[in-house]
Amino acid sequence: MRRRTLLTAAATTALAAGCGGPSASSSSSKSGRGRLTYGVWDVYQMDAMRRAAREFEKTRPGVSVDVQLTPNGTYWTKLRTACTSGSAPDVFWMNGPNFGLYADAGQLLPLETSGANAVLDPDDYPADLVSLYRWNGTQYGAPKDFDTVALWFNKELFDRAGVDHPDASWTWQDLIVNAQRLTDRKRGTYGLAAPVWAQEYYYDSIAQAGGWVISKDRKHSGYSDPRTREGLRLWVDMIHRYKASPTLQQLTDTDATQMFQSGKVAMVQDASYNAATFYADPELRAKVDVAPLAKGRRRATIIHGLANVVYARTAQPELARDFVRFMSGRRASLIQGKYGTAIPARNGTQQTWADAMPRFDLKVHLDAVGYSVPYPISTNTAAWSHQELRWLARAWSGDESLTDATRSLTKAMDKLLAQEGKGGAR
Amino acid sequence: MAETTRRGSREGRRWPAHLLLTVGAVVTVFPLLWEVLTSLKSFGESTRVPPTILPRHWDWSNYATVFSSIPFAHEFVNTLLMTLLRTAAQLLLCSMAAYAFARIRFPGRGPIFLAFLAVLMVPGELFLLPQYQIMQDLGWLNSLQALVVPGMFSAFGTFLLRQFFMGLPVELEEAARLDGANPFTVYWRVALPLARPGLLALGILTFLWSWNDLMWPLVVNTDPAQMPLSAGLASLQGSHLTDYPVLMAGSLLATLPVIVVFVAMQRHFIQGIAFSGMKG
Amino acid sequence: MSIDTRPTAAVPAPRVPAAAPGDARARRRRERRFLHRDKWWGYALIAPAGLGLAVFYLWPVVETLYYSFNDWGAFGGTTWTGLSNYRTLVTDPEFWHSLGNTAIYTVLVLLGIPLSMLLAVLLNLKGMRGTGVYRTLYFLPVVTMPAAVAVVWRWLYNGDVGIINQALSVVGVHGTYWVSDPATVHFAVAVVGVWMTVGYNMILLLAGLQSIPQDYYEAASLDGAGRVRQFFSVTLPLLSPTVFFTTVLSVIQSLQVFDLVYLILGANTGAGITNPAYTDGETVVMLFFQKAFYDNQRGYGAAIVCALFVLILALTAVQFRLQKRWVHYG
Repeated sequence: MRRRTLLTAAATTALAAGCGGPSASSSSSKSGRGRLTYGVWDVYQMDAMRRAAREFEKTRPGVSVDVQLTPNGTYWTKLRTACTSGSAPDVFWMNGPNFGLYADAGQLLPLETSGANAVLDPDDYPADLVSLYRWNGTQYGAPKDFDTVALWFNKELFDRAGVDHPDASWTWQDLIVNAQRLTDRKRGTYGLAAPVWAQEYYYDSIAQAGGWVISKDRKHSGYSDPRTREGLRLWVDMIHRYKASPTLQQLTDTDATQMFQSGKVAMVQDASYNAATFYADPELRAKVDVAPLAKGRRRATIIHGLANVVYARTAQPELARDFVRFMSGRRASLIQGKYGTAIPARNGTQQTWADAMPRFDLKVHLDAVGYSVPYPISTNTAAWSHQELRWLARAWSGDESLTDATRSLTKAMDKLLAQEGKGGAR
Repeated sequence: MAETTRRGSREGRRWPAHLLLTVGAVVTVFPLLWEVLTSLKSFGESTRVPPTILPRHWDWSNYATVFSSIPFAHEFVNTLLMTLLRTAAQLLLCSMAAYAFARIRFPGRGPIFLAFLAVLMVPGELFLLPQYQIMQDLGWLNSLQALVVPGMFSAFGTFLLRQFFMGLPVELEEAARLDGANPFTVYWRVALPLARPGLLALGILTFLWSWNDLMWPLVVNTDPAQMPLSAGLASLQGSHLTDYPVLMAGSLLATLPVIVVFVAMQRHFIQGIAFSGMKG
Repeated sequence: MSIDTRPTAAVPAPRVPAAAPGDARARRRRERRFLHRDKWWGYALIAPAGLGLAVFYLWPVVETLYYSFNDWGAFGGTTWTGLSNYRTLVTDPEFWHSLGNTAIYTVLVLLGIPLSMLLAVLLNLKGMRGTGVYRTLYFLPVVTMPAAVAVVWRWLYNGDVGIINQALSVVGVHGTYWVSDPATVHFAVAVVGVWMTVGYNMILLLAGLQSIPQDYYEAASLDGAGRVRQFFSVTLPLLSPTVFFTTVLSVIQSLQVFDLVYLILGANTGAGITNPAYTDGETVVMLFFQKAFYDNQRGYGAAIVCALFVLILALTAVQFRLQKRWVHYG
C-alpha cells in the first residue's frame, strides 16, 4: 500500500475505495460444500483474483468463492464494522499498517506454518513479508504480493542534461550532485521530487543511513536518533539546500508521480506497483526506466506486501484455510503475476510480473528483495504514521527545523505507543 | 402611467440582470466543463502538467469503459428504485410530521421538534455502524430494504416543510376546519396542495442525495446485484491508480438523470400559486 | 410616502413581526397559528417519521454521548473513563485550531446566502427569458460528485499551472499556491463551499418565493409601490421563513463540513496531511474522522462530536430565539 491508500483508507467517505464486504450469506460447509467470501479492494486486481478463485473452485467441486470488491476508501471502515458484528468475509486482504490492530484484537485465525496442516511454508516467501504478518510468535497472514522501491528516471531529461543514467553504483552524493545538474530553472524542471512519502522516501533513507523508525519491542520511536535524522535530512536538504526538488507546496498542488509523468522532474522514487501505471501510457513507456535506490551508509529498500488472512469468526475455518493455501500457492501466484498488477509473493513466480512489462528493467525491483528491510508497524500503526506525516511536513516545508520537528514527533509517537501497551485501541 | 411604457422600461432594465446571470453562470459551469473535457482525454494526457485544455485526441472510449466495467443498466435500475422509494416516503412522512409541528398544539411539541433537529447536528458518518448493526439484526444485509429504509426518514425534510406550512396563510385551513374536517383531512386536502413548491424542492434534493448516496450502499451491501450506480462508480478507483478520465465519464453519466429530472421539474418553479378565493 | 406601505385593505397584509414579548395581540396571533388542539392527531402524524428517526438516528446519537465518556476501541471494546476525553479535548490545541477554521468557513459560506437570494429573485422575475436554463446551470454544481469537484478545483487553484494564476499573470499579479498556503486556504475552500451551496439555497428560496401569493404583489403595485419597495415590504417578510431555514441549515451544515475540505486539501492525491496549510484548513469533523476512524481513538472522537453538537445546538437555539425579531409566519 502506498501513502495514498494509507491516507484515504479510513477516511474518504465521499470517494470510497476498497475491499470485500461482510458476508451474511456464507453458509456452513458440510461435506465439503460451501460458499466462501473473499474481500479485496483493488479494482485492477479483480480479474486476476476472480480467475484464481475459479481455479480453486475446480479443485473443490461443490465450493464457490465470491470475490467481493469494496473500493479502498470504504474498505477499512466497512471491514471494521463487519468484524465488530461478526459478518466479515471468510478470507480477506490485509496490509501492514492495519495488521497489528486486527491481530491484536483477535480478529484473525492463526495459520499453521509446519506439519501436515501447514497453510504456508515460510521458506517460500521473502522473510520480511512472512515476519510482517506474524504477531507475538503466531502467523496470521499468508503473503500474497509485495512491492519494493526503486529510482525511476526520465531518460530524455538525463540525455538532454548530459548526465549518465543512474545505476547500482550511485550513492547519496551522486543522487544530490546529479539532481542539481538535472535541475533547469528556466524550463521549470527539477532533478528529483522529494515529497513526504514514507514507503517510497523516508523509510528507505532512514534505513540507508542506519537509523530506525520503531524499536524492536514496538515501544519507542526512533525519530530522535541522529542516524534517523540523517536519513530525513537528505530530503529536506534536497529541497532547501540543493534546490533540486520542488517545494512541498508545489508537491502538494501537483502529485510527485504526476510531475514525473509529465517530465517536470527527472527522478522519482516509486514502488513497483506504479510500473503498470507507467507502462499503460505508451508515451511514457518509451521515456522512462528504473534503477536501484542510491546507497547511503548501506543499501536498503522498504518491502511491503499484502497478505490473505482468515476471519476469526468464519463459519468454515478449514475451507477458508484451504483457500488461503491455494491463493498464496504457486498456481494462483503465477496467475497473479501474468496480470502484471502486483509482484506475487511466492518465490519462483515473481519473474512473470517482470516479463509482463519487458521494456522496463524490472529486475531491479525483484533484486531489491535481497537488501530489503521490513515495513515498520505496531498495534495501532495508523495513529503514529499520521503524526509522522504531520510533523515531518513541518520540516519539509521549512516551518520548523528538522530537529524540532522530530523532537515533537518522538514525543507524540512515544505517547501513542505507550497507550497501545494499555490495550487502548481494541 | 400607461401599461406599455412601464413594460418597455422594464424590458430595458433587464439587460443588467442578464449580464450578471450570464457571468455567474459561466463561472459556475466552468469546473463542470473541465470535467467534460477531462472525460474525453486519454489516461496519459490527463496526467500531464500543465494540463491541456482541449483533448489532443477526443477519446470517447472512456464512456465505453464505464459501461464495460460495471453493470451500468442493472445498477441504474437499483438506483432508480432506491431513489424513488426514498423520495416518495420522505415526501409523505416528512410532510405529515411537519404539518403536525406547524399547526397542531400538543404537549411535548417543542422538545420533540428539538429532538428531530438534533439529528441534523451530528456528522452522518456517526450513523453507519449502528445502522449496519440494526440491518444485520433484522437480517436485511444485501437487501433492497436495507438500501431504502433508513433513508425514508429525514429531519431535514421535516424542518423544511414545517417552515413552508408555517408560512402559509391560515385562513383556508380555518375555513376547512369550521366545516368539520379532521386535522388529517385539512392537511391532505388543503395544506398539502398549497405547500407544493416546498414539496417540489424537497423532492428534488432528496432525489439528488439519494442518487449520489455512496457510503451507505457500500457498507450495507456486498452483493453486486444490489449495488446502486454511485457505489459501482466508486469501485472504479484503484488503490494505486485512478483513471480520472473514466471516473469523470462515469460521474457525468451518473449525473445525467438527475439533470434531466431537474430540467423537467424546474419548469414548475414558475411564479407562485395565486391564492384565488382567499380574499375577503 | 411613508415607509409603511400596506398593500391594500382587501388583502391580509403581511404581518409585521411580533413586537415585544408579552404583547397580547402578538400572543393571540401566535396562538391562532395552531389550528388544531387534538393532541392525539399530533402524535399520530408525527409517529411514522419520529419512530424511524428515533431508531436509526437518535439512538446512535445517544450512544455516542455515552461512548464519549469511555475509551472505545476499534472493535467496540469500552472502558469507562469519565471526563477524561473531555479533559483531553479542552487542552488539545488541534481541536481549538480546527474549531477556529470551521468558524471562519461558516461565516464565509453564510455570505453566499444573499447571493442565493439575489439569484432566486432574478430567476423568479415574471417574463424573464431563459430562467429555466439559468436555473439548471446554477444547480449543476449541487449535482456533481464531490470527488470530481475537488479534482477540478485543485487544478484551477494549482500554484504552478492553475488557470487562476495564469489569468492573474496576464495582469502582472503573481498568484500564490492557493490551497497549500496557510494565508489563502480559508478563502480558497470557502469559495468552493459557496459555489456548491448557491444552487442548493437557490432551490429552497425559489420554492419560498412561490409560496408568496400573487395578490400581495398586485395589491402593492396598485398601491403604487415600486419593485424595490415591493421587495422589502412583500417579498422579504414573506420569504423570511425560508431565509430562516436556509440560514439555520447553512450554519448547521457548514459547522460539519468535511469531505469537501478534505478533498480540496488534497487527501485524494496523497498530499492531505502533509499539505503545509493542513492545520489551517482542518475542520472539526475532519479531526473527528481522523481520531475515530484512523487513529482508533473512538471515545475521543465521540467527545469531539458531542462538543460540536452542543455548540451547534446552542447556535441553533439562539437563532430560534432571534427569529421572533425578523421571521414572519402566515
